[in-house]
Amino acid sequence: MALSLFHHPSLTLPSPPPQPSPPSLRPSPSTSLQFTLPAPRPLLLLRSSRPNRLHSSLRAGLSSAVDSPPQTSGGQPEKKLILQVKDLTAVIAESKQQILKGVNLTVYEGEVHAVMGKNGSGKSTFAKVLVGHPDYEVTGGSVVFKGQDLLEMEADERSLAGLFMSFQSPVEIPGVSNINFLRMAYNAKREKLGLPELGVFEFYAYLYPKLELVNMKTDFLDRNVNEGFSGGEKKRNEILQLAVLGAELALLDEIDSGLDVDAFQDVAKAVNGLLTPTNSVLLITHYLRLLQFIKPTCIHIMENGKIVKTGDISLAEALEKDGYEAIAKSH
Amino acid sequence: MAAIAFTPRIQRPPLPLFSTPKTPKPKTRVSLQPSSSSSSSTSQLAYDPFVHQLAESLDDSLASSSSSSSLQSLRDSSVQTVLSTPWPTRKDEPFRFTDTSFIKNSQITPISRPPSLPTTPDDTQFPSLDIVDGFLVNLSNLGELPNGVYVGSLLELSDETILKRVSEFLSSSSQGDLFWSINGIGAPDLTVVYVPAGCRVENHVYLRYIGNEGGDIGSHKLPLSNPRVLVLVEKGGEIGVIEEFLGGGGDKAYWVNSVLEVVVGEGGKVRHSYVQNQSVNAAHIKWTSVRQESASTYELVEISTGGKLSRHNLHVQQLGPDTITELSTLHLSAGDQTQDLHSSIVLDHPRGYSRQLHKCIVSHSEGKAVFDGNVKVNRYAQQTDGGQLTRSLLLAPRATVNVKPNLQIIADDVKCSHGAAISDLEETQLFYFLARGISLEAARRALVYSFGAEVIEGLPYPWIKTKVESQIKELLEGSS
Repeated sequence: MALSLFHHPSLTLPSPPPQPSPPSLRPSPSTSLQFTLPAPRPLLLLRSSRPNRLHSSLRAGLSSAVDSPPQTSGGQPEKKLILQVKDLTAVIAESKQQILKGVNLTVYEGEVHAVMGKNGSGKSTFAKVLVGHPDYEVTGGSVVFKGQDLLEMEADERSLAGLFMSFQSPVEIPGVSNINFLRMAYNAKREKLGLPELGVFEFYAYLYPKLELVNMKTDFLDRNVNEGFSGGEKKRNEILQLAVLGAELALLDEIDSGLDVDAFQDVAKAVNGLLTPTNSVLLITHYLRLLQFIKPTCIHIMENGKIVKTGDISLAEALEKDGYEAIAKSH
Repeated sequence: MAAIAFTPRIQRPPLPLFSTPKTPKPKTRVSLQPSSSSSSSTSQLAYDPFVHQLAESLDDSLASSSSSSSLQSLRDSSVQTVLSTPWPTRKDEPFRFTDTSFIKNSQITPISRPPSLPTTPDDTQFPSLDIVDGFLVNLSNLGELPNGVYVGSLLELSDETILKRVSEFLSSSSQGDLFWSINGIGAPDLTVVYVPAGCRVENHVYLRYIGNEGGDIGSHKLPLSNPRVLVLVEKGGEIGVIEEFLGGGGDKAYWVNSVLEVVVGEGGKVRHSYVQNQSVNAAHIKWTSVRQESASTYELVEISTGGKLSRHNLHVQQLGPDTITELSTLHLSAGDQTQDLHSSIVLDHPRGYSRQLHKCIVSHSEGKAVFDGNVKVNRYAQQTDGGQLTRSLLLAPRATVNVKPNLQIIADDVKCSHGAAISDLEETQLFYFLARGISLEAARRALVYSFGAEVIEGLPYPWIKTKVESQIKELLEGSS
């Protein structure tokens, strides 16, 4: 279940969070959406915007799927701010219909956030807007990702900066094989880091262990991207891409939808295996079940284009029992 | 200049310059006078002095070379046809979208003798022939061919049975156009590929056509060559043929007017690959005329990327039931080019199976692609299973494609389908690449390349696939 392949404490253990983190990580009992920050925090923000810090965090993000970063011992590590979303509003580009009506969210490194909400509440739109999907237009607010203005960046730049989104319904690309696609994406990242590109065989050697991580056979590599894939295969392909590319922040949009029991296990296991203290995950899901496998730091309920409630796992349990109406009433 | 008798009614328009070779007029010349038969009135009405001049200069150029009697009769009948066929204009349906004026406005000089330069040997292990400027100059690796197979020039052919068979097909058939007939007059030789009954030829025969002589850019000279090949496969025989059209280097201007006739006997099989990569200033007009006996198979893979004007006329005639016809073509206009495919499949017998896939990519603002895909399913072609799909990718503003799929179905118990799509690359697919950090240019390249890959996959050997792939990559990168 909570399988960590890298043998270091991660957020998935059922016991209380083992990091010697400052108490501010625990969601405050009120419905305020910002975490209360102790005084030293602003210094951390300043630090994270230095360029070489960004460079090294990219490298850490890249290797996070392979190496286990050195365990922090002793004093309190300052948790880096990965994502800060303030009052984000967005519309559908074509019809100008407003979907996001002021979203506020803060994610630190090593955290797992879950976003739940009714269909049409704007959860997927939120993820798509973060990633730069052309169907949507931002009309207000700000998004800072690792100290950079995310909204100023093109979609491919955002990906190279360490933001990954797994699509709810990945598109098919006939004519382009999986291995070529993965190699192109991986080499794009390497180029960004100033590393030389990998040839076909070297890439295959790098890729092979990742396949085991998502429980896929090598024969799928020669198939065209998502062409003729079952729902479970498509989702596992998304996680494979995450494993290959690495990311500081992974947005997983309903990664559990349409999966049978076995595929679900594979995906949950794989995601857990990719978690480290330096990268974060935003899970969009409807069901408690995924959150029992991938333990969230906190859960947000989204309604009508805004995050209306934040809590811990008990919030999800209440949701499961009483539905959205009950939660809405209590806020 | 030869003296030609004109009827006074026709106004003589200013004639383009022709340079006729300075050989003395030989005694055996085909009479170029309009025949005095009853068709004289119609021939006068369609009389085109330009065409007449061209025919004459072709005839003069060949006067000095030896020719067999079969070729002579071909020439005679071709001349008769030519005299009543005008040069096509944009008002003629088959050339509505294809502008041939650059040929007409050039100084056309038929190439009368084979080149004296040594040709570069090719390094494949296949039985191969080099046809340079229309003349067969080099044959290699022919020893590997099974007994009874003949690959070579008609003039060298001594086997009486094969000669007899070849002559049966040499008469100019009625379905050609002006260019077919011009080749009939001007072809100096006929390359014959003959496969006797029941014989399976393992390796493909590799025909390399090289346009060596050419006019430099700006000189308006357009040397004309007329290569002609006949592939005759008897009952149950099988062979593959690779035709590769290359330029001699230097982007010279020339006109290659080639004809390939394919006869597939009962139960026979011909796999035809046609790769066209001529100079970007050249005119390339090709006829491929295929006759399929019952239960025979004809497969074509065509990749056309070169030439300023490239026109492929493909005609497949079904002569018996249960035939299989598979056509797969890719045209790329990466510069100021016109790529044109006019295909016609005529089914007159039951249970024919035909599939046609045509893909074209126009990646340059001045580029054009034309497709006219005709399929006639006639009265007795019951239980035909026919499909045609054409997909075009327009990648630059003002890039043009004219697509006219047309199925004429008379039989009432058939399964036919056709589809056409013209588009740019798909947004959702492009975004998927972007969301994985791959740049827009790299994504576009990958998607355009994969569009063509479906046809390229059909080529028979890895070496030719690789050659074509790198060619296309280079062209796409150049124009983007």
